[in-house]
Amino acid sequence: MMTAEALGTILVSGLVLGSIYALMASGLSLVWSTLGIFNFAHGTLMTLGAYVAWSLTDNAAGLGLSPIAGLLLTIPIMVLVGAAMEWLVVRPFYGHRAMMLITVMTTLAATVFIGKGIQLIWGARLKQLEPLVAGKITILGTTISAQELLIILLAPVLLAALWAFLRWSATGRGIRAVGQNPYAAKLIGINVPRLFIITFALSATLAGLTGVLISSVRLITPMLGDEPLIKALIIVIFGGLGSLAGTIWAAYLIGIAEAFLIYTIGIYWAPSLIFILLILVLLLRPQGLFGKVVR
Amino acid sequence: MKLDRSLIALAALAVALMLPLVIEDSYSRHILIIVFIYAIVAASWDLSLGYAGVFNFAHMAFFGVGVYATAMTAKLLGVDPWFAMLLGGVAAAAAAALVALPVVRLQGIYVVLVTFAFSQLILQVVISQSDLTGGTQGLVRVPTLELPGYNFLRDYKLGYYYVALGLLVITTICLRALVRSDFGMSIQALRDNEDYGVARGIPIAWQRLKVLVFSAFFAGVAGGFYAVYLRVASPEVFSFATSSLVLSMVLVGGVSTIYGPILAAVVLTIASEALANIDGLAEGRFMLVAVAMIVGLRYLPGGLISAFTRTGRGRVSPAQVMPPKTE
Repeated sequence: MMTAEALGTILVSGLVLGSIYALMASGLSLVWSTLGIFNFAHGTLMTLGAYVAWSLTDNAAGLGLSPIAGLLLTIPIMVLVGAAMEWLVVRPFYGHRAMMLITVMTTLAATVFIGKGIQLIWGARLKQLEPLVAGKITILGTTISAQELLIILLAPVLLAALWAFLRWSATGRGIRAVGQNPYAAKLIGINVPRLFIITFALSATLAGLTGVLISSVRLITPMLGDEPLIKALIIVIFGGLGSLAGTIWAAYLIGIAEAFLIYTIGIYWAPSLIFILLILVLLLRPQGLFGKVVR
Repeated sequence: MKLDRSLIALAALAVALMLPLVIEDSYSRHILIIVFIYAIVAASWDLSLGYAGVFNFAHMAFFGVGVYATAMTAKLLGVDPWFAMLLGGVAAAAAAALVALPVVRLQGIYVVLVTFAFSQLILQVVISQSDLTGGTQGLVRVPTLELPGYNFLRDYKLGYYYVALGLLVITTICLRALVRSDFGMSIQALRDNEDYGVARGIPIAWQRLKVLVFSAFFAGVAGGFYAVYLRVASPEVFSFATSSLVLSMVLVGGVSTIYGPILAAVVLTIASEALANIDGLAEGRFMLVAVAMIVGLRYLPGGLISAFTRTGRGRVSPAQVMPPKTE
């Protein structure tokens, strides 16, 4: 029988995981629904964000800025990286019949390029960021670091901001219009390439911020983003690609399910079970749990 | 045209058979053995990715399943390495059948995502089950091939060279026969016009399952040979870098040709090894491969791209309805 304390542990650690996954997966989902491509470099962008923040804040080898300044300064850098990536590996293939498949390969190539670049610049030694907030807090009988609580609280705020941006701002409405019908959007005078580059930059920033937030809880390695990318990938399949709400629901669902599985069957078998769950869902609903049939 | 191609293939085989007479040092022979292994993997990947148009991104995972299945059965269960190689192929085929269950019912990007997630899952399982697989350290001291009266560790790898070449020749013959059979025709028909193929009574799910299983089998055997030749199974085989190196072989060589990826494997493996020997490029060469891949896709659209543009007529996916390129 499961105690209330165990349930509290599962819920709290599930929320931490879910928040990180939601931030990751929403960027992927946004790029998919707007550009119709799947960015395999998303995990590596997350890793890059963490390393950039480390270089900005570390006292010995970096610039020694405060954690907040490091976080804020990472944003413009990730915007530039995202825009450059769109320019170099996505833009040349616009309008191509097999664009979806080609960009799978070019973004994979970008992953290798950035990943190996990170290894060359920062080396393989483990690093860690100073947390934005220090200390520990006990909720529902579970002790977590204040940083983890910050992640739980910050994720919904960032996601709500993203939602409001897409809902109300002119740029955000343009992004949704392009996602629905790029031709019609172009016809009514929307600058489609400009929105593509903004979307990519936004998504890269989300990935980078996730990296910064997570890397005072976990250690920074060149592989930091690999596992979250796979989780984000499973989440967008579950949630149905292109549905931001579906993605966010699925992120929290998978986060809590993973925490439950780690608690009950251990950390080693949890990923396999989640994958089997994914296969079962896909056999019954090939369009994902919350997705609509797209042809 | 067809005659030409067979003649060239035969001539290439003759050269490959004679090559050890000229190349006598074990390092150069080692590179050629690696070339043959990559050639098998790239050519068999071409079967599912090129001919069948199934966006299979788990091919290196099937190779890895072959590596580990062979290494584990040979080392831990004491199975004869020759037979263990075959078991590697069978294990890879079984893994492919498992992936095929959801994949045959999915479309486009979802196929990419599921196969990709699967390959990362295999990696995680390998790393987590370190009692059996050696975890991140890998499994070392795998038993190697033996023949009565012959020691494979002698003769500067001559024995391994001919085994690898033999595997490549068998694989090429099988793959060519497969793609020219009725089965091969039907998978190409499904790739080029899915609705029409289905209307003519081709069982799409069944054909796709078979194509994944066949293409994984060859990759698995190649993986098995890789394990008994290098005598080590390490999780490195699942990395993005290895995957994109082999993928670039399929792309550069031109999909739906079988011979193309083999040729590209020769060129790219030798180029990649040559770069690895330059100071400071051991890791950096993968960055060069990545750049070459993007540039190749952009400016040499003869390979993969032309094969897929022929397909789009039957069904238009949302991803394909993009605005024309704007300057």
